[in-house]
Amino acid sequence: MATLLRPVLRRLRGLPEMPLRARSDGAGPLYSHHIPTSPLQKALLAAGSAAMALYDPYRHDMVAVLGETTGHRTLKVLRDQMRRDPEGAQILQERPRISTSTLDLGKLQSLPEDSLGREYLRFLDVNRVSPDTRAPTRFVDDEELAYVIQRYREVHDMLHTLLGMPTSILGEIVVKWFEAVQTGLPMCILGALFGPIQLSAQSLQVLVSELIPWAVQNGRTAPCVLNLYYERRWEQSLRALREELGITAPPVHIQGLA
Amino acid sequence: MAAPKSCALWSYCGRGWSLAMRGGQLLGLRSSWPGTPLSARLLSQEKRATETHFGFETVPEEEKGGKVYQVFESVAKKYDVMNDMMSLGIHRVWKDLLLWKMRPLPGTQLLDVAGGTGDIAFRFLNYVQSHHQSKQKRQLRAQQNLSWEEIAKKYQNEEDSLGGSRVVVCDINKEMLKVGKQKALAQGYRAGESFTDSRMPIAFGIRRVIAAALQEAHRVLKPGGRFLCLEFSQVNNPLISRLYDLYSFQVIPVLGEVIAGDWKSYQYLVESIRRFPSQEEFKEMIEDAGFHKVTYESLTSGIVAIHSGFKL
Repeated sequence: MATLLRPVLRRLRGLPEMPLRARSDGAGPLYSHHIPTSPLQKALLAAGSAAMALYDPYRHDMVAVLGETTGHRTLKVLRDQMRRDPEGAQILQERPRISTSTLDLGKLQSLPEDSLGREYLRFLDVNRVSPDTRAPTRFVDDEELAYVIQRYREVHDMLHTLLGMPTSILGEIVVKWFEAVQTGLPMCILGALFGPIQLSAQSLQVLVSELIPWAVQNGRTAPCVLNLYYERRWEQSLRALREELGITAPPVHIQGLA
Repeated sequence: MAAPKSCALWSYCGRGWSLAMRGGQLLGLRSSWPGTPLSARLLSQEKRATETHFGFETVPEEEKGGKVYQVFESVAKKYDVMNDMMSLGIHRVWKDLLLWKMRPLPGTQLLDVAGGTGDIAFRFLNYVQSHHQSKQKRQLRAQQNLSWEEIAKKYQNEEDSLGGSRVVVCDINKEMLKVGKQKALAQGYRAGESFTDSRMPIAFGIRRVIAAALQEAHRVLKPGGRFLCLEFSQVNNPLISRLYDLYSFQVIPVLGEVIAGDWKSYQYLVESIRRFPSQEEFKEMIEDAGFHKVTYESLTSGIVAIHSGFKL
C-alpha cells in the first residue's frame, strides 16, 4: 500500500513532475505526424540520414528525412514562388493530394492516348509504382512548408512522366538533376551529385555527356513545375504540355542501360 | 508494427530480472503476469556430441521459416545494433557486471524475465559452463589413477556440460524469443518451447505494475532464491545528469530514426526512463514485496543500477 502512496507523497512534497520532452522544441505538433525537433537534432538527423542513405540505398525514408531537415530555407523560397503564380496559389489554397484514394483511376484509364492522365497511369503500370509510397512529412516545422515538400514528393512521378524517364537508377538521377535545378532543394542537389557513384562507367559516360546537360537545360527553361495543377490537366495532351513547359525529347533512350 | 515497438523497449532496457533458483520447477508462469500474451521458452543445456546433427537440423527449419524469419531477425538485429550505438557498447559491461554479481554455480536455475534475445541468458550459460569446465579439469587432475570399474562408470554417466543448469527466457515479444532461440541453436544448445497465453489487464500506473511484478517475483522464487534486477535509475552527479539528459533527448531518438526508422519508440523510451523510481525508492519497493537483504549498486554514475534481494 505504501508503494502506491509514494507518487502521491512525492507530488505533495512539491517535487516537480518528470519533464517530458524536456529538450525538444518548445512548440507542440503543428500537423499530424509532425515531430518537433531542435536545431541540434535536425543537424544530427541531416548528417545521419545522409550517411545512412549512402550506406544503404534502399532506405528511401532516409532520403526523405534528409530533404525535410535541410530544406527549410529553400521551401520558403518555393512557397513564395508558388504564391506569386496564380495556379500555384490555388494549389497552396486547395492543397490537392495525389494518392490512390484521391485519383479516379478508372477515369484516367478512359482518357485518350497521349493525354497526361493516361500517360501518367501508363508510367505507374510499366514501372510498377504506386502514388501511395510517399511517407508523410514529419520534421518540417511549418505547416504550409510541410505541404510544399509533400507536394514536391507527390509530383515526382509527374516529372518522370513529363521527362519520359523510367524509375531505374539512371532515370532517377536524371530526374534528380532536373529537380535540383528547378527547386534548389539541398537534398536534390546532394542526390544529383552523389547518386551517380553507383553507376557503371558506360552509364556514367552517357549520363555526363548527354543526359545531365539535357536535364539541366530543361530545368532552366521550364517554369516551376510545382505551379502546375496536374489534377486539372489530366485531359491535356502530354505533347502540348511539354511544349508549354519547353521540355524537349530525351537525347538517349535509356531503357536498356543500368 | 506493434511488435517491434515493444521489443525495442525490452531489449534496450535489458530488463533482465534474473531469478536464480536452486533446483525446482519454474514453469508456474501461467498465472497472473503483467502484460499481454506471454511466451516462455525453455533453454536446456545438452550440448551433445550430436552438435553437428543439430546444426543440420536448424538449417531446414530456417529455410522453412524463410523470409518471415529473416524479417524478424533483421528487426531484432537492428535493436541489438541500437543497444550498442546508444550505450556506446557499455550495455555489454553492465550485463557482464550483472552476471559477475550473480556468480551462479552449476545447478542454478535462471528465470530471465524480459530476456529478449537472451543477452543475459547466454552470459549465464557461458559462465556456468566455464565454471563447470574448470571444475572438471580439477577433478581430472585428481583422478589420474582410476580403477577399470570407475572408468567404465564414467562412460556410463552422461555428463552434461552445464552441471544441471537451466534457463527459462520469457518475454512479451515472440519475435525476440525466436531470434534468441536461433542463437541458442546456433551455439549448440537445445532449445525447447512452451508458449502460454496469460493476460492480466493493466489499468494501473507504472508503479503499481512494478509492485505487482515484484510480488510475483517473490511468489515464484523458492526460499533461498535471489532476485536481481538490472535497470535504469537516477544519475547521482548533476553535471553528468545534464549531459545524460542532453544525450538522451537529442541523440537517441535521432539514432532510432536513422538506424531503426523508429523515432517514436525511442523518444518514448527516454521519456519513460525518467519515470523510473530512484535507487532508494526501488529498494524500498523490493523490500515491500517481502525480499530481505536488499542492496543496490549504481553503475556508470547511476545511469543503471543492479538491485539484489533474497527470498528467505
